[in-house]
Amino acid sequence: MNRRVALVICFGFGVVMFAQYFSQHPLARGVNQAVLEYWQIIFAFALLLGVVSFFQNNVRQIRHGSDRPYRIVSLIGLLAMPVVAVIGRIGAGSPFLWIFENVQAPMQSTVFALLAFFVASASFRGFRARSVPAAILLGAAILILLSRSAIGGPLSGWLPDAADWIRHQPSMAARRAILIGIGLGSLTTSLRVIVGIERTWLGGGK
Amino acid sequence: MNRVVSRHWIFLGLFVLVALAMGSGIRLDTPVSDRTAELYDFIESLPEGSVLLVSFDHEASSLPEIRPIGQALLRHAFRKNHRLIGMALLAEGTAIGYRLMQQAAAEYGKEYGKDYAYLGFKPQYIAAILSMGESIPATFPKDYLGRPYESLKALDGVATYADVAGVLSIADGSLTTHWMEYGRARYGVRVVSGVTAAMVTTYDPYLASGQMYAMMGGLRGAAEYEDLIARPGGGKRGMLAQTATHLYVIVLIGLGNLSYFLARRKKETS
Repeated sequence: MNRRVALVICFGFGVVMFAQYFSQHPLARGVNQAVLEYWQIIFAFALLLGVVSFFQNNVRQIRHGSDRPYRIVSLIGLLAMPVVAVIGRIGAGSPFLWIFENVQAPMQSTVFALLAFFVASASFRGFRARSVPAAILLGAAILILLSRSAIGGPLSGWLPDAADWIRHQPSMAARRAILIGIGLGSLTTSLRVIVGIERTWLGGGK
Repeated sequence: MNRVVSRHWIFLGLFVLVALAMGSGIRLDTPVSDRTAELYDFIESLPEGSVLLVSFDHEASSLPEIRPIGQALLRHAFRKNHRLIGMALLAEGTAIGYRLMQQAAAEYGKEYGKDYAYLGFKPQYIAAILSMGESIPATFPKDYLGRPYESLKALDGVATYADVAGVLSIADGSLTTHWMEYGRARYGVRVVSGVTAAMVTTYDPYLASGQMYAMMGGLRGAAEYEDLIARPGGGKRGMLAQTATHLYVIVLIGLGNLSYFLARRKKETS
């Protein structure tokens, strides 16, 4: 019975939201706006759920003694940022903005920048012309790398053109094929969900 | 053991190379590409006072690449006396976007509330983009600092995308796609973007089809844009490090392949 109610609600919302897309009637626009507001509210609660889950999981792990110092720092960060934002506000010169700019942003940038070291190492170890397709990929990669640096143009006039050709012909063709595939897949899945053929979102079982 | 040692040398080599490049202060020429020029022309061609919605759709991790892109675009828009409305579809982009707008505005003597405003972050990007198409004030009743929408002069007469000359998405991921799929397709708003180099190929099909109007890509794009606005910044500064790193990677690929083929030949002859 509960599953049938959920399916009916899903079907109703699916059909209404599909139909309103093609209408400029104030009622359709009002329905659209209301649904979008609810969507955002539900998402905000999902964020809250994530925070609660993160908190509970870390407290549990601290009790078990695994990675205790790191988890304590995580929880301090999680609790401190909202407190600082509420007390000191979030505008220019606020402690919140200072912490974000001087702690969080540099840390995240640093971790991301470490990728460059791993890419350098991987380029030496893994990027080998073991076969013809691998050699073509390697050649394309070198062309793109040169074209995105400042010496690509001065080195040779045709280098940027060759790199652009790779981007605009083979790369774009493959990209378009993927995008069209994703689009058709999304359409099919949406229709299956709306008409109730696809029911995995209701949870396991039949 | 040898693997670990050689990896450490590779890491050290990269570190030394980037440090030398950044310390040398050499400025490399970066000829302006057609793509970057298109974005410049778009902002340049708008009538003075046009409203531009700037969406900071990125995380803090990409800041070294995103900051020069954002700075160059904001400087150009403020110099042209456009009205800028900032917002973010990712929570981390919120504070970064606010700070970038504040800094660029200060350089051109722009006043918050009058010449620009910052609406802050809205969760669930698809719903936010669609909701703004129905009503921007209803989606953001207050700005980032908690002031009512109606109290800000910069937001006067801005109710939907119809009142906006374009959306400028500064992104390090696929969020710009949603601006095109929902903002452009549903409400017809013009979408332009400044994206990280890794995302350029993702957006090439949209640019070719006209769904995206113009795009600037990566540190290279930022350096080109800085040349166009005659205002050197992080893009130009970073290009030397990026060039050095790219060459280093190419050399490593070459060395790796050389050792691979030598080892293969040795194996075949023995």
